[in-house]
Amino acid sequence: MHNCVALSIVSQRQTVTKRDGENRRLELVAYQLCSTTERVGRFVLRDKKMTNNNLNKLLVFCVLFCAQKTSIVHGAQALETKVALLLHAEPENPKCFAEGMSDLTCFWEEDEERAGSADQYSFIYTYQNENSSECSVTALPAAGGKRLYFCRLSQTQLFVPLDIRVFRDELLIHNRSLFIELVFLLDPPANLTLTSTGTQGQLKASWLPPSLKYMGDSMMYEVSYTMAGSHIGKVEEVQASSELILRGLQSGTKYKVRIRVKLDGISYSGYWSTWTDPVLMETMPGDLDPLIVSLSLIISLVLTLLSLLVLMSHRRFLLKKIWPIIPTPESKFQGLFKVYGGDFQEWLGHSTGGLWLRPAYFYSEEFPAPLEVLSEVSLGPALPSSALPPKASEALGEEDEDEKLKRVDSALMEGWRETPQEHWPMDQLRAIHQHPAPWTQSSLLESHDAYVTLNAQNHSGEEPLDDILEETLPLQVLFASGRTSSESRSDLGSFQQSSGLGRLSSQSSFEYPNHTWPPKGPGYTYMAVADSGVSMDYSPMSSSKIDDIGKGVIYTNEYKNEIPAHRRPIGTPIHFAF
Amino acid sequence: MSSISGLVAVLLTVLQWAGRGLPSPVRPICDPRVLDRFIMEARDTENALRGCKAGCGVTGTFVVPLTNVDFVVLETKDTEEQALEVQSGLFLFGQALGAVRESVSRAAVKSLIDNNKSNIHSLGQVLRSLHIKDLSLSPAPAVGDSATRKVSSLSELLRVHTNFLRGKVRLLLTNAPACQQNST
Repeated sequence: MHNCVALSIVSQRQTVTKRDGENRRLELVAYQLCSTTERVGRFVLRDKKMTNNNLNKLLVFCVLFCAQKTSIVHGAQALETKVALLLHAEPENPKCFAEGMSDLTCFWEEDEERAGSADQYSFIYTYQNENSSECSVTALPAAGGKRLYFCRLSQTQLFVPLDIRVFRDELLIHNRSLFIELVFLLDPPANLTLTSTGTQGQLKASWLPPSLKYMGDSMMYEVSYTMAGSHIGKVEEVQASSELILRGLQSGTKYKVRIRVKLDGISYSGYWSTWTDPVLMETMPGDLDPLIVSLSLIISLVLTLLSLLVLMSHRRFLLKKIWPIIPTPESKFQGLFKVYGGDFQEWLGHSTGGLWLRPAYFYSEEFPAPLEVLSEVSLGPALPSSALPPKASEALGEEDEDEKLKRVDSALMEGWRETPQEHWPMDQLRAIHQHPAPWTQSSLLESHDAYVTLNAQNHSGEEPLDDILEETLPLQVLFASGRTSSESRSDLGSFQQSSGLGRLSSQSSFEYPNHTWPPKGPGYTYMAVADSGVSMDYSPMSSSKIDDIGKGVIYTNEYKNEIPAHRRPIGTPIHFAF
Repeated sequence: MSSISGLVAVLLTVLQWAGRGLPSPVRPICDPRVLDRFIMEARDTENALRGCKAGCGVTGTFVVPLTNVDFVVLETKDTEEQALEVQSGLFLFGQALGAVRESVSRAAVKSLIDNNKSNIHSLGQVLRSLHIKDLSLSPAPAVGDSATRKVSSLSELLRVHTNFLRGKVRLLLTNAPACQQNST
C-alpha cells in the first residue's frame, strides 16, 4: 500500500498547482496497477476511465515501477518512519516536513469512523504576498484504525511565511503558518563506518552527509555509542563534519554506534532524523591501563610502608623470636666478666656483693673442703711427746695441692656418702697421732675419741711432687667417737675403704676397739682430734718412729671449718687436716 | 596646543583619504559564523520587541525587500544578481531601521536597533571582503519595486529583516566565489 502512496507522490510531482483531469486519471490507473500487480491493501480510486494512450503510458510506467521497486520500497519505508516520528514530535496540524531543498510534505490523521474520502478535503496554501494555491490530498490507511491524508508540494519558497489551510467540505479543520526552512526532516546519514585510529580506547566514526546543497555547514550530527549488550550509552554532537573520533572507550570491547542528523537552527531548522542502523566494532585490545598500574603501585607502596611500620614497632619482639639473646649471668655477678674477665676465683676474692651466694656453693655436695697435706717425716729418733706440728706441705705446687685436695676430698666424699648426714661431723677427718705411750696419757685422747686414718696410696709415683719437702705418705686419720663402738660401727660402717682413686684409705678406730691402734708405716704424723662435744681439738702427733727422728719438725696449722648450722647437728666446729 | 590638534586633524584626514583611495587587500570573510551571529542578534531583537505595546511607538510604513528564496530559481541566477538583491535589501533595511530609531523613545529599544544597524554596516564590510560591491550606502536601489513590499509595524519589519538575513544574504555568502575557492 505504501508503494502506491510513493507512486502517487511520484506521479504528482508535476501537478502541484493545478487540478488536471488527466493527471488524476493517471493517478487512478497507477493505483489500479499497484493493486493488480502488487496486491497490496486497499487504495482509493477516484476515476476508472482511461484512454488507450494512457494505457501505453501506464505500461511504461509499470516497467519503470518494477525496475525501481526496491528504491520505492525503501522510500516508502522511510516515509513510514518519518510519519511515525512526526506524529510524536509535532503537535500542530497539519504536520509538515521538508526532505530536500524544494519539497514539502504535509499530512494529518483522522479516525477511521469519522474519516471521509480524500476528495472531501482541500489543502490550500498561500505564500506571503502571493495568491493561494491548492494541493491535492491523498489518503492512506494507518495502524490503529486511523487514516492519513497527505499533500506534497514539489516547488517551495523558503525564508517566507507559508499559510496552510485544510478544509473538509468547506469547513476549515486545520490552519497553520510556517517557514519551510524550519521544518526540515532529513534522511539519516548513509554509510556509517567505524575504523580504528591506532590508539587505544578510540574509534573513528565516519559517514556520508545528506546531499543538500547550501546546507552542508548547517548540519548538526548526534553520535550515540554504547557497549554491546549495555543500555547505557553516551552521545556526542558534532557540527558541519562528516567524521568523529570517539575517545575514552574501553579497550577490547565491542561498541554499537549510530548517528542522526538535524539542521543547526540558525538559518535552517527542523526535526532530528531517525537513527541509522547500528554499526558494531571492537576497540583495540588494551595494554595495561596506566591508571590501574599506577594505582596498584601506590597500593603496594602503602602496604609495604604499613608492614614496615608494624615490623619496626614490634622489632624487639621479632628479634627475640628470630635471634634470641643468649642469657648471660652478667647481671647477677657484677664485675665478674668486665673486671675479672670471668675469673671466678678472683671475683670471689674481691667482690663483696656476691659473698652471700657463697655458702650455697660451698655447702653443696661437692663442697671442696680445703685440706692440708702433711708431708711424711723421715724416720728418726723418737720425738718427745710434745706435739710436733706436722709438716705442712704447702711447698706443693698450688696446682698439685689443689689436685690432691680435690682427690682427697673426692675420696672422702665417696667414702662417706653412705653415712647419714647427721653423722657427718662425727665423720670429719681427724688426724690424731697418739703416741702409744702417751696415748693413754694424752688428755686429748678419750675413750669417745675416734680416729680416722687417711692413707694416700700410689700417689707418690704418679704426681710430681717436686716441691714437697717431705713425702706425704699415707696419713692415718684417727677417728674417735664417744659412742659405743657397736653403735658407731653400725652408724659408720666400715671405714676400711679405699678411694676410687686408690689413693686414700681410711681406717677407723672402731676396728680396733680396744684402742689397740697400731700405727702404720714407718712413721707418720698424726693429728689427734679430740671432740669434747663442744669443740674439737687437734694436736699433731707423730708415730713412734717419727718420735725417734727428733729432727723433723712437725708444723701444725690451725684450721677451722665453718659449717652452717644445718650441717652441724651437734654444733661443734669441725676441723680437719691431714 | 592648537598647532598639535591641527596636526592631528590633518593626519587623520590623510589616513582616511588613503584608506578610501588605496585598494586594501582584504581577506575574504567566509566564516558562516559571522553571519550567524548577525542572524541570531536580529532574531533576538525580533523576539524582544514582539510584545512591544503599540508597536513601541513606531508608526509609518517601511519599504522592505522580499525575502523568499526558490532554490530552483536561485540556481538560475548568478552571483551578481544575487549580490544586487542583497545589497539593495540591506540598504532598505538600513533606511528603515534609521527611521525606527528616530521614532522610538525607550533607551533599551534604541540600543537594540543600533546594534542591528551596526550589523548591517558590518555585513557591507563582509560583502566587500568577498569582492562584492557595497551598494548599501548608495541611495538608488537597482532593483525595482517588485522586489520590495511595505510593512507597517516594527515587529513585521524585524521579522522580515531576520528572514532576509537568513535567506538571501546567507545564500549569497555561502555561494560567493571567493569562499568557494577556499572550501573546494
